Amino acid sequence: MIYIIDHKDSFTHNVVHQFENFDDVTCDNYNEINEDKLNKSKTIVFSPGPGAPKDYPVSSAIYKKFKGKKKIIGICLGFQQILYCEKGKIIQQKKIYHGYQSKIKVTSDNSLFKKNSKFNVGRYHSLKLKEPFAAKNFEITMRCAISNVAMAIENNNEKVYGFQFHPESFLTENGNLLIKKILSV
Amino acid sequence: MIKKNYLKNLNNSKKPFIIYKSDKGFDLYTDFSKKIILTKNNIEKFINQCTKLKTKKKETDLFIGFFGYEILNNLIGIKVKKQKGLKFPKGIFYKPETKIKFPNKLNYENLGIVKSNTLFKININKASYKVIFDKFKKKIKSGETYQIKICTKYSNKAKIDALDFFCRLVKSNMAPEAFMIKDKDYSIISCSPENLLNKKNNFITTKPIAGTLKKTKKLNKIKALVFFRKNIKESKEHNMIVDMERSDLSRICEAGSVKIIKKKIIEEYKDLYHYVSLIGGRLKKNISSLDILKAMMPGGSVIGCPKISTLNLLNTQEKESRNIYTGSFGYIKSNGDMRFNIIIRSILNYKNNSEIAVASGVVIDSNAKHEFNENYIKAKALMELYK
Repeated sequence: MIYIIDHKDSFTHNVVHQFENFDDVTCDNYNEINEDKLNKSKTIVFSPGPGAPKDYPVSSAIYKKFKGKKKIIGICLGFQQILYCEKGKIIQQKKIYHGYQSKIKVTSDNSLFKKNSKFNVGRYHSLKLKEPFAAKNFEITMRCAISNVAMAIENNNEKVYGFQFHPESFLTENGNLLIKKILSV
Repeated sequence: MIKKNYLKNLNNSKKPFIIYKSDKGFDLYTDFSKKIILTKNNIEKFINQCTKLKTKKKETDLFIGFFGYEILNNLIGIKVKKQKGLKFPKGIFYKPETKIKFPNKLNYENLGIVKSNTLFKININKASYKVIFDKFKKKIKSGETYQIKICTKYSNKAKIDALDFFCRLVKSNMAPEAFMIKDKDYSIISCSPENLLNKKNNFITTKPIAGTLKKTKKLNKIKALVFFRKNIKESKEHNMIVDMERSDLSRICEAGSVKIIKKKIIEEYKDLYHYVSLIGGRLKKNISSLDILKAMMPGGSVIGCPKISTLNLLNTQEKESRNIYTGSFGYIKSNGDMRFNIIIRSILNYKNNSEIAVASGVVIDSNAKHEFNENYIKAKALMELYK
């Protein structure tokens, strides 16, 4: 079972439907966590949402508790939430991407996805990861093809994955394939 | 066959009635056997009871009326602090006993009883609008909202003939979700173009509008489409609304059934082009009318995104009640089918006070002066009815 933590976003149920293609899903608000279901789940997903990671201490605590024990996936704010817990700095970017379709590319040999492949994704973020960023076992594996901003992280050791873009958006090509692959490893 | 002076006689009789645009013309509902004034305490019970009428086959086996903005917030657990305003009911529904179909041309001679001597006053001037605008832009930068709609309101004192207003309005601005309500102490006239939800059996659709372009001699439908496709700001606003509505539908629809049926098309109106999408899905089993309304309302395209944090920002900012504006008008049939619009381009006249609310969106690249003027243009078409 996949447990999705909703940061009260207006895109979360697209995420739910996307993951339901592959497994049973339970989704609760971040302030109404069902401990029992959370414990029983195989995968935890941190949803997109408004604001910044520091606004969601409950999600940070869940991440720290289950890192290495369950597969963890973060999307947009959820991606930033993981980075924030790994001592990354999340800052405002000059150009703001809300409802923006742009090209990204796979930049790492160690990615689950083929290096140098490019595809279109939907983006909804005003914040980004400040670089340089380094954390044990983590690698930035996808970047914006134009600005080079970090678009995905992978930690294949502890099975932690994050996307700055929205795989569930209608603007993203092959979003289902991305999720399928990550759930299958 | 409708009697020649039916509308005139009905209007003179002081009997409450409602007119709602249908596919081919208009439906008129009257002879109300029940009138329910909604509060945050009775709304859920009311919605649940709509589908419990004994008969389900007659064309009048339905409740028709409106939900105001505030009660739709309450419905999804969002509080609205005490605001200034007309103290108008938060929502009213009627059970009609008579329904009459009319063609698109409504036959009514105006009695000429518009009495409006005062000019329209605006509640937020250009300078204060700019202040709010800049404040919200900061909220966009910090990620608290991605898009937010600032509401401004024009009001005056006027005694109006609502039916005359409505007939003139649909003559110049026919819209697929136009409606009017006339009751003893209030009337509502609207040429809303936007359908929020249409539910038939287990299928539901929503048809958000995001993007409006004023017609000029040089434009046609294809050129309007090119304009929207090329305009990054308009595209982004529209994309956001499409993803948000997909998500709202996904709350109540079966996984994998939510589809964009018409993606970013142009609809042509008398004076403008709208950038529109149609999204639909198959409802999960055991979803109630209440579940549907809670998932879909208030309509996202007139609020901003994400819905909850944006509503909270709006409610902290707005000192005056939106009343009907960005609420929903429509009906719930006793068999569970529903149709609701988003109340925009509307006039509320309550105890001879008129108000016209308008809003336009703030995204990161919008411009305060442009949006303020855009609001004025939207209100102007309605204010002209008072002349």
